[in-house]
Amino acid sequence: MKLLRIFDANAKNNWTSTSGRRTPETAEILRTALLIGMTFVVLAPVIWFTLSSFKGLAELGGRPHFLPQSFSLDNYSEALKSYNYKRYFFNSVFVTTVATILTLVINSMAAYAFAKYNFRGRDGLFVLTLAMIMIPLQVILIPIYLVVAQLGMVNTYWGLIIPAAATPTGVFVIRQYMLTIPDELIESARIDGAGEFRIYARIVLPLARPALAVVAIFSILWRWNDFIWPLLVAQDEKFYTLPVALAQLNGRLAVPTNIIIAMSVMSIIPVLFMFVFMQRQIVQGISQTGMK
Amino acid sequence: MLIKKASRRGSSVSWSRRLVPYLFVAPNFAIFLTFIIWPAIRGFWISFFDSTDGVHFKYVGNANFKEILHDPTISQVARNTITYVFFYVLLAITISIALALVVNEQKFAKGFFRAILFMPVMLSPVVVGLIWSDIVDRKHGPLNAAIKMLGGGAPGWLVDTNLGMVTVVFVGLWVHVGFYSIILLAGLQGIDRSVLEAASIDGASRMQTIRQIILPLLKPTTLVIIILATIHGFQSFDFIYTLTGGGPLGATTLIVQYIYERAFGVPIRYGLGSAAGVILFLVIFAFTALNFIVGRRRNAV
Repeated sequence: MKLLRIFDANAKNNWTSTSGRRTPETAEILRTALLIGMTFVVLAPVIWFTLSSFKGLAELGGRPHFLPQSFSLDNYSEALKSYNYKRYFFNSVFVTTVATILTLVINSMAAYAFAKYNFRGRDGLFVLTLAMIMIPLQVILIPIYLVVAQLGMVNTYWGLIIPAAATPTGVFVIRQYMLTIPDELIESARIDGAGEFRIYARIVLPLARPALAVVAIFSILWRWNDFIWPLLVAQDEKFYTLPVALAQLNGRLAVPTNIIIAMSVMSIIPVLFMFVFMQRQIVQGISQTGMK
Repeated sequence: MLIKKASRRGSSVSWSRRLVPYLFVAPNFAIFLTFIIWPAIRGFWISFFDSTDGVHFKYVGNANFKEILHDPTISQVARNTITYVFFYVLLAITISIALALVVNEQKFAKGFFRAILFMPVMLSPVVVGLIWSDIVDRKHGPLNAAIKMLGGGAPGWLVDTNLGMVTVVFVGLWVHVGFYSIILLAGLQGIDRSVLEAASIDGASRMQTIRQIILPLLKPTTLVIIILATIHGFQSFDFIYTLTGGGPLGATTLIVQYIYERAFGVPIRYGLGSAAGVILFLVIFAFTALNFIVGRRRNAV
């Protein structure tokens, strides 16, 4: 509502932004003020939470202060020492890495077939792939769990990695990109006697690098933040990934809040790195496919 | 060279060459079949059975669906879900369009603000729930401290049943609104600049330009956002799990949490949970199709 009101204020100024010249200052100031407000709403909770991780339990239970009254790293050392943080962290790193590599390999293979081969049933299989986006995990939670249980994959790394590795969006993104690779390149490689797999691995994959990068980034985000799937598969604490560990520990009264906060902050650091350094690919991925 | 090419394309292509594309799609489809298609079929099947252990299944006809329609707990879950999705989608569309329009016009630090937009969607939803439960904590949270400073009371954001829903909708929006804006920004960039210039030459006001030119041209992207937001709304679970746990008194328990609890909470009811999954699928499917049809028809006019 507030936003709309600011627009009305803008309208009165009758400015023509399309020419980029006569922009009145008030509109620019109002816009910037609004966006600074938005920045505050987005960043303030995260900054507050991060600062909380340096506060002692006594301080967290008292009147709230913005800056820690007594700055200490005790929460972090306690989380590393008395809790299995390193194990959860390892699990998350391992599952994310292996699942992302697997996703890149099998998605790009399927994408290559869809983009560069004519074969019976191709269009049907491609439509089927896209239709799979319509069946979210949440809808088939119980049957998929029963399948995984029957295959003996509960409490295994494979159970965490394999079922979510074949992403329909990944196939789609890579296929769209591979369509732009000229067929002549592949034909001439064939004439030179290169095998089919070799053409895919040595010629097509390197050329599809931009698309692979986008899929890799999103796969890392998906796997790192994934909750509901590892929650089902990792029932033994040994296999907890970070989100599962955080949710489960948070549910236990015996685990103090300060530990949970410190663990949470540590878990978002890798994501923040990607946020800072991979912006272009992320924006590209979001705006092209609507994936998150 | 041409001759060679032609001969290779001819019927002389060996069967092993014809097999190649199938081998390329095989690993991906093996996983699709085992972990999406087969479970989807099986889930539909199971919804007509009753099972508490996943091993023994008893055929019960449509009893699960009947139970879902009459059970008071489920009708509360359904009410919660509909309330949540309604406000979430409505507000998400309004705010994300407004934000996209504002950021699109912005010149100073545009890249920075655009980055801020999608930052929340990158955070783990579990952590988002923990962050906000810290912020809105009744006694020790900074939000209530600020409200107190301004002379207000101490609202129980996670304790009061109505406020619980408000908080959950707000946090859902906090996560996704910027993400939708990024998609809309791409749509805005696709609008032909000369159309906007023509409008300004014709003396259209800012508000007129937005209402009569930008919003209609943005409709295809808006439709995508409506569909995405509807799906996200119905799927919400993870941040709510650490924010309210579905409470207070089940006021923020949505359908996905209900399905999860039928599989892993007491009482375990695989058939009932699967039936709820089937209904969720049909609802999401119906809404998506509806959005699509309505959007198409409006575009055609």
